[in-house]
Amino acid sequence: MSRLRNVAVVGFAQLPTVARDEHRTSTEMLYPVIRRALADCGVERDAIDFQIAGSVDYMDGRPFGFVQALDVMGSWPARQDLHLEMDAAFGAHYAWIKMQAGEIDSAIVVGHGKTSEGEPERILNLQLDPYYQAAIGLDPVSTAALQASAYMARTGAGDADLAAVAARNRKAGARNADAQVRNAASPDALAKTPWAVEPLRAGYLPPVGESATCLVLAAEGKAEKLCDRPAWVHGVDQRTELQTLGARDLTRSASAGLAAEKALAMAGLGGARETDLIELMALTPVEELIVCEALGVDARAQAPSVNPSGGALCAHPVMSTGLIRLGETFRQLAGRAGERQVPNARRAVAHAQQGHCLQQNLVWVLGTEKRWA
Amino acid sequence: MSAEPPKEPVKYVESAVHLPYHYVAGDYRATYLRALKDKRILGSRCSKTGKVFVPPIVASPETFAPCEEFVEVPDRGVVTTFCIVNIPVIGRNLELPYVAASVALDGAAISIYALIQECKPEDARMGMRVEAVWKPDGEREGRWEDILYFRPTGEPDAKPETYINRL
Repeated sequence: MSRLRNVAVVGFAQLPTVARDEHRTSTEMLYPVIRRALADCGVERDAIDFQIAGSVDYMDGRPFGFVQALDVMGSWPARQDLHLEMDAAFGAHYAWIKMQAGEIDSAIVVGHGKTSEGEPERILNLQLDPYYQAAIGLDPVSTAALQASAYMARTGAGDADLAAVAARNRKAGARNADAQVRNAASPDALAKTPWAVEPLRAGYLPPVGESATCLVLAAEGKAEKLCDRPAWVHGVDQRTELQTLGARDLTRSASAGLAAEKALAMAGLGGARETDLIELMALTPVEELIVCEALGVDARAQAPSVNPSGGALCAHPVMSTGLIRLGETFRQLAGRAGERQVPNARRAVAHAQQGHCLQQNLVWVLGTEKRWA
Repeated sequence: MSAEPPKEPVKYVESAVHLPYHYVAGDYRATYLRALKDKRILGSRCSKTGKVFVPPIVASPETFAPCEEFVEVPDRGVVTTFCIVNIPVIGRNLELPYVAASVALDGAAISIYALIQECKPEDARMGMRVEAVWKPDGEREGRWEDILYFRPTGEPDAKPETYINRL
């Protein structure tokens, strides 16, 4: 691997995820988060070269809804800006690429969106093709259930296995002040929750909520000035798959596997097992098992620790859930994870995804030391 | 199943998208709208420049500074720019042509969009002083429509330098 530019996460702030914030619009939620992320870095907005947001206009319920966010992002004097209709984690990748190109040295990456104002299950149905899949009303829970059935048939995993994964996340989430669901639940209790779409139970699904997030990225030379313990990017890659659900193997994630292979190779690691923790964006226990398989790790093992934050099963603010994974790895590597701190965390993997059934996957490898000398 | 293609090929697929929304007003809008019921117009003041934004907003888009202080502004101001509408607009049943304008309320740093009535289109001009005409007491609901329209006050025109930066 040729030498790349060392880039680090140097700040992260988020609002605790809630089902519905009655007092603030999406942009009113975002503003204090950007202020706090910058304040933690000890800089004003003028110190940042680039801004990028992840949100979805269908969630905002207005065309060009993302433009409203510009008013609270410090967009004047005229800034370099970009918006992705994707989880904000993908925006972080874009900012990283711009840093590799030498165009910018620093960036804020924000995620926002009020899931409570619209109906996310109807909105996410529209990610599918309008002729065959969206038309029959498939929503993310239904497609995840199709995936779960196929996975369970291939691997022999049963209801108890799904309950165990969900329970482990719920136990971890109880220590996360930013999580929406903060009460631990036993596998037995979760296995008694009613079916949502069989074989997925209500207890195996994420609480769809809302938050606002802001991550600060900076290149070497600047990163050290913004943070005493930056989380350096050692590797990153993203891969996508076909949209048509029947045209790919739903029981595996080829794109997560390839993204992980490329990101780990960039990091100079032999596998994700060589890291201390993994934050992955799994919207069902089955997705967690599939992504762990793609990463070559066992979620039940003690190390690396998988989802010490409780993951998406304890908080799923759509468009920020992936960015929170990256923010959580920063908190862990910077020693800011509080009650959920993984002791001596030096290397971490963050995963984000987009689309039904893990269609597009992004994998980061981070470390406490610079990757390239 | 017939092997023959249908005589009338399917040309389109109907795909109606139904997406209901239930928007949160937010505390800033709620405060602003409630005040309209009392014939009061509120703005918020930039903590850095002192500029007043109407309707109130949480942060200054210009300075990124918070705007936490609510201030009341008069229900009168100046036409900063205008146009004459000659075509019907969906949802607005008005006699054509009519004047639509940007109005900078006195003390406000930016203008609001306003319907101008009791004014012949040929009399409309930049710098013209206008005032709000409200719905009568008891009929205001805390909505933007509580202001029926703006009308000329007959005061002398404002000088361009007083409003040119508040378009």
